[in-house]
Amino acid sequence: MKILKKLATLAAIGVMALVAFLYSGIYPMGADVPHNALTYWALETLRERSVAKASSDIVVPDLDDPDLLLSGGADYNDMCVGCHLKPGQSESDMTIGLYPSPPNLSMPPEEHGHSHANGGHDSEQKLRRQYWIIKHGIKASGMPAWGATHSEERLWAMVAFLQKLPELSPAQYQILTARDDSDSHH
Amino acid sequence: MKHISAVWLLSLLFVSTATLAHSPDKHKKSAEKPKCEAMENMSQEEMNPDDPVVQAMMKKCGFAHSGAGERHAKDSMPDHHRTNAKDQQHSGHDGH
Repeated sequence: MKILKKLATLAAIGVMALVAFLYSGIYPMGADVPHNALTYWALETLRERSVAKASSDIVVPDLDDPDLLLSGGADYNDMCVGCHLKPGQSESDMTIGLYPSPPNLSMPPEEHGHSHANGGHDSEQKLRRQYWIIKHGIKASGMPAWGATHSEERLWAMVAFLQKLPELSPAQYQILTARDDSDSHH
Repeated sequence: MKHISAVWLLSLLFVSTATLAHSPDKHKKSAEKPKCEAMENMSQEEMNPDDPVVQAMMKKCGFAHSGAGERHAKDSMPDHHRTNAKDQQHSGHDGH
């Protein structure tokens, strides 16, 4: 009984200390001040485990259709390139200013500099993960939920394009993503 | 009465111009044409006709891509890519 009382007292003190910390305003929230290593690890793990669980039932369609590359490429160039870059580009105002910095999707995954808390991905899991993130976004990260404004087909087209993006030269990227007046995707 | 009508008309005119100013066309990104001439400089490795990327580029640049269109596409491809394309044709499909 005494032990239980002590534990309850400690828990109450812990909660009060946490609330006091939140209200104190001492934790830096500027995007130009990185999290400490523990906080960063906790948030990365939380994100990756959440996305893995939420995306586990997604069925991945065939992504080899060239039309998907044209649709996804044009959308990527319109909506994503400012943060996630294109072949021949190494940074932008967004990659410098956002925290965490958006991964450079024009580079292969192992060169993103973007660690995944649960280690490597098999290819299907990677596709499900990308689709889920494009559709639902990530809280407090700057990554929007594109599912609210784009069809399933367009979201999968972007996933298809992301698979080819690291292989593209700047010239190939320009051809695939150019949206001339005849395009009616928007 | 005339004074009030004029005020109403001016107000309507102001509102209508404000509406025009927010037309979606005003926000449309300027279209950029694909620079298809860059395909002339691409290596044979980059121009594998079985690669969905190459197929997409050819579609974008207006090359037809089915049946006789495939033959047309190969005819239209830059000369130094045609040999590679012919090499990859199945037997019995050769024909121009």
